[in-house]
Amino acid sequence: MHTRPPIDFRIAEVSGNTPRLERIRSLLADSGLGMDSDITTFVEAWSGEQLVGCAGLAANVIKCVAVDAQLRGENISARLLAEVENLALARGHFHLFLCTRPCNRERFQHSGFWPIVQSGNNAVLMENTPSGIERYCRSLRAKRLAGKRIGAIVMNANPFTLGHRHLVEQAAKACDALHLFVVREDASFFPFAARLKMVKAGVAHLANVTVHEGSQYIISRATFPAYFLKETGKVQQAWSEIDLLIFRNYIAPALGITHRFIGSEPFCAVTRQYNNTMHQMLAGAVEVVEIPRIKAAGTAISASEVRRLLKTHQFSRIREIVPDTTFAHLEAHYGVEVA
Amino acid sequence: MKIIREALAGTLESSDLMVKIAPTDGELEVVVRSEVIKQFGDQIRRVVNETLRAMEIHQGLIIIEDKGALDCVIRARLQSAVLRAAEEKEIAWGTLL
Repeated sequence: MHTRPPIDFRIAEVSGNTPRLERIRSLLADSGLGMDSDITTFVEAWSGEQLVGCAGLAANVIKCVAVDAQLRGENISARLLAEVENLALARGHFHLFLCTRPCNRERFQHSGFWPIVQSGNNAVLMENTPSGIERYCRSLRAKRLAGKRIGAIVMNANPFTLGHRHLVEQAAKACDALHLFVVREDASFFPFAARLKMVKAGVAHLANVTVHEGSQYIISRATFPAYFLKETGKVQQAWSEIDLLIFRNYIAPALGITHRFIGSEPFCAVTRQYNNTMHQMLAGAVEVVEIPRIKAAGTAISASEVRRLLKTHQFSRIREIVPDTTFAHLEAHYGVEVA
Repeated sequence: MKIIREALAGTLESSDLMVKIAPTDGELEVVVRSEVIKQFGDQIRRVVNETLRAMEIHQGLIIIEDKGALDCVIRARLQSAVLRAAEEKEIAWGTLL
């Protein structure tokens, strides 16, 4: 009888290890998967000289899990996941997310993962605890506010502009209470702490607005299953749907949210598609209100414009499109270079 | 003993189990999933509860993913996970038997 060498597990750092990554890339391709660019580490399963399985880790998100077709059914993916969980914990991540195709849902349920939401046949988002989202909702419920019309805005505020302030003011006026979530992920030019501070200062004059720190469950790396669908359009769509399903099924009910406010998006195709998807996904559950962007000097105000102006030190033009509170922050942190 | 940090112990190999522990504020929540839950679910839960009681664990989230482990393995894995999660330096071996 043919015997296979035992499986051993190795860790491969993605940075500067191209020849080794080629084997992972081809293993993924055999399973119809691409490699996501934000993966920093792979756990590999080797059987002798052959790479038979891999699982990628990007911060606290597991993705790109593949096992050689000939070795499926030997529990290799479960062993891979256990290795990844140990690795992640050693790096400070205990709460893990995993995004996969719905056909793999059951397999990962046997490996310590619980489904959160599923977008049709495209994607399912799972987490490695049975009570993660439930616990989060419980913490949100404690911040419920009384009123008939309860609004919500999710913003990155990179940085907080007059456009953001206009959106918040309009929404606050239309609601009894407004929950404002600042995207937590530190993938922007301005770090989360700075963005949160600028938002808080910029809306301090509005009594019925509560500023929330964002979470893993709102527009985060975890809700971005970018790897398992080749067509980028589909990937984008699946990502938007996952994110909005979590909002519709968990966050909105926990806070009693009746309206979600968004700014119209003239520049960014990704945000525009997200906005369109929002209209479809929230229909019947939460009313979506799109507020036109305000303009300054003829063009719509955008945070990316502020970042561009900041790079070229055009503070007088920045002053025209951000509130004083944001300007004070920019001056304090980036103004020195101008002198 | 008090759960103060997240911890893992064990594997998802056949005949083993993986234990995940996280701190909570207040309640004790124990989740058991097992491939042999129909035959041995009650017995597994009994071993888990007795082990936690002996170690005086009254709060925390305990997740157990069992792949058909023997009672002694369940107890040992759970004990190591708890000791890690409690950052226990001095182990009272008498309570671990």
